[in-house]
Amino acid sequence: MTTLLDTLLNGLALGAVYALVALGFVVIFKASGVLNFAHGSLLLLGGYLVAVLHDDLGFAGALAVAVLTTAAVAGALDRLLLQRGDPDPKAAHVQTIVTIGVDIILVTDLSRRIGGDLLTLGDPWGDAVTGLGPVTVADSRLAAIVVSTVVIAGVFALFRFTPWGLSLRAAAEDVEAAALMGVRLSRVRMLAWCLAGALAALAAVFLAAFPAPGLERTTGQIALKAFPAAILGGMASPPGALAGSLLIGLTEALVAGYQSELHVLGEGFGDVAPYAVMVVVLLVRPTGLFGAKGAVRV
Amino acid sequence: MNPKHRTRGTALTAALAALLIAATGCSSKADGDSTSDGADGVKSGPGVTDKAIKLGALTDLTGPYATLGKSIVQAQQMWADETNAKGGICGRKVEIVVKDHGYDVQKAVTAYADISPDVVALPQVIGSPVVAALLDDIERDHLLTYPQAWAASLLGKDSVQVMATTYDLDMIAAVDFLTRTKGLAKGDTIGHVYFEGDYGANALQGSTWAAKKAGLKVSGQKIKATDTDLSAQVTALKKDGVKAILISAGPAQTASLVGVAASRGLRVPVVSSAPGFAPQLMKTPAAPALSAMLNIVSGAPAVSADIPGVKTMVASYTKKYPASPVDSGALSGYSAAQLLGADLKKACESGSLAREDVVKAHRSQKSVDTGLGSPQNFSDVGRPAALSTYVLKPDAKAAGGVVGVEDAHQAPGVEEYLTSKS
Repeated sequence: MTTLLDTLLNGLALGAVYALVALGFVVIFKASGVLNFAHGSLLLLGGYLVAVLHDDLGFAGALAVAVLTTAAVAGALDRLLLQRGDPDPKAAHVQTIVTIGVDIILVTDLSRRIGGDLLTLGDPWGDAVTGLGPVTVADSRLAAIVVSTVVIAGVFALFRFTPWGLSLRAAAEDVEAAALMGVRLSRVRMLAWCLAGALAALAAVFLAAFPAPGLERTTGQIALKAFPAAILGGMASPPGALAGSLLIGLTEALVAGYQSELHVLGEGFGDVAPYAVMVVVLLVRPTGLFGAKGAVRV
Repeated sequence: MNPKHRTRGTALTAALAALLIAATGCSSKADGDSTSDGADGVKSGPGVTDKAIKLGALTDLTGPYATLGKSIVQAQQMWADETNAKGGICGRKVEIVVKDHGYDVQKAVTAYADISPDVVALPQVIGSPVVAALLDDIERDHLLTYPQAWAASLLGKDSVQVMATTYDLDMIAAVDFLTRTKGLAKGDTIGHVYFEGDYGANALQGSTWAAKKAGLKVSGQKIKATDTDLSAQVTALKKDGVKAILISAGPAQTASLVGVAASRGLRVPVVSSAPGFAPQLMKTPAAPALSAMLNIVSGAPAVSADIPGVKTMVASYTKKYPASPVDSGALSGYSAAQLLGADLKKACESGSLAREDVVKAHRSQKSVDTGLGSPQNFSDVGRPAALSTYVLKPDAKAAGGVVGVEDAHQAPGVEEYLTSKS
C-alpha cells in the first residue's frame, strides 16, 4: 500500500513538472497553430542560464534573468523568424518545420557549451524530502506541484479575464474575423510565445532539480515526454494540459514502479506507455480530454 | 521517349557509372592487399610508409561523450609525441588521424570509409552503437581496433580488442564484493538498474549469474538514457526489499539513484559499472550520498592509484594539458595506445606491418603489461583480455574523482562463468 501511495505521489509530482512544459506547447499552439519543436531547446536555454548565473546572482536572480531571457528569445523567434514567412495562418505547418531547424541550432550550440557536464542550478530545495505519513516526496517536487498549479491557474485567468486573453481566444476561433475586429494578431502571438518561453525556463528548474542530478545536454529531450500530455489534453486547453500531464506522470511512475509485475507486456514497456495511454484516450475522445469539438457546417 | 527523358536517362546512367567507379575505387583502396616491402625489409601495407605509421581515431568531440573523447584524443596524442621523441616505432614516426563523429552512427560510417584506407589500426573508437555498425567492416579490413566499449558481444572478433574486463565480469566482481564485505547473505535480494542495449544486457547477465551462485535474487529495473529521475525505480526496489543495488547506466542515473535512495531511507550499498561514474557527480547535491554509499567496479585502476606507470602518465598529462582534468578516459586512451604500440613493435620484429600481420602479432601476445593495470592476454579471441577487477570509490579530492578500495583480483566463479558461456 505504501508503495502504491509512494508511486502515485511521485507520479503526480512528475506530472506537475510535465504540465509546465505541456502548457507551453498549448499556449503556442492556441495562439499560432504551430507545434513548437524548439520547446525542448528553449527549456535547455533557460536551465543553462540559471546554471551559469546562479553563482553570481543567487538562485532567484538567475531564475528571473533566465525566465525573461528565454521569454525574449521565444518572442523574437516568433516575431523575427516565423512571422516573416507566409502571413497566411494556414502556413502554420511550415512554421512548425522551421521550429525543428531552430531546435537543432539551439541544441547544438548549448550541447557544445554544456559538454559532458552535469550543471547544478543552485535551487533552494537541495536533496531535502518531506515525509507525508508513510511516504516521502522531494521538496523540489512539492514546489513543482504548487508552482504549476498556481501558474496554470494564472494562465487560465489570463486567457479568461484579460484583453490579451480575449484577443487570443478570438484569434484562435477565427483569425480573419479577429483581425477585422482590430485584434493585433502579431502582438497577441508574440506575447503567447514569450509566455511559453518563460514557462520553459521555469520547467527547466524543476526538471534539473533533485531527484534528477542536474542539468545536462539531454534535459531538453524530456520536453518531448510532455508532447503526448499536451495532445491527449486536447492541444488547445490549459486544463487539458494539466490533466494530460498528470495522467502521463502517473502512467510513467506506475509502469516503472511495477516493472517486474508488468513483465508480461515485454521489456521496456515504460517507453511506450505514455503513447499507449495517448492512443487509448484519442480512440475514445478523438479531440482529446478537453479538446473543443470541431463544429462542421454541412 | 522524348528527348528530355533521354537526357535524364543518360545523366542517370552516367551518375550510376560514376558511383560504381567510385565504389570500386574505394574498395580496391581498402583491400589492404597492396602490401610492399619497405627499404628496411619490413613489409608494409595501407597506412604504413618508410617514414610513418598512420593510426586512426573515430571519436566524439561534439556529442554526448565529448569530454571523454577529448581526454582520449589528448592522451593518445601525448603517447604519439612520447613515442616519436624516442624515435618512433620500427624507425617510423607515429601519426594519429582524428575524426569526430559526434556519436552519430551515420557520420561514423562515413568517417570510417574516409580514413580506413589510409590507416593501419584504430586505437580509439567511441560508442557501442558505432562499434556495432562498423564491426563487419573492421573485420573485413583487418583493422586492429581498440573500442571504448566493454560489452562481451564484442568478443570473438579477430580485429577488435576489448581492453581488460567486460561488463559481465565486473558485475560478478561486484556481487562478490557485496557478499564478501557488505554482509549480503543467501536469500537476500539485490536490485540491478541497467540501460537498455548491449551495455546493460551484458552487465545483467553477469549479475544474474553471480547472484544465482550466491543464492541471491535479482530485481532488475531497465531504464534508458533519458531517464534521469529514478524515483519510481527506487520505490520499486524498496518494495522488493533490496539489500544492495547494482547500476549499469550513465553518471546522471547513478547520481539520481543514489540521491533518491538516500533521501528515502534506502541506505544500502550501491555498486556501479565503470561508465556509471564521472568526477562531475561530486559537485551535485548527491555528492554526500555518493561518498557514503557508492563503489565502482572497473577493469582499470583509479587514476589516483599508486601504480608507477599510472603516476608517470598522470604527471605528464597534467604537465602537457594543465587545463584538462585527468579522468578515467585519459588513462583508458593512453592504455589503448600503449597496447597498440606493443602490437606494432611485435609486428615490426616479425617483419611485417601489413594489417593482417599486426592483428596476428596482437593475437600472439599472451601477457602484455604496460604498467597501467592488470596484464592482458590477447591470444584467446573469445575471452576477455583480463579477468581481474578493481573496486573503487568516489573521492572528490582525488585525481579523476575516485580512489582504490581493493586491488585488482579475480572474483571467484569468473572461470566457471566463462566456461559455462563457451
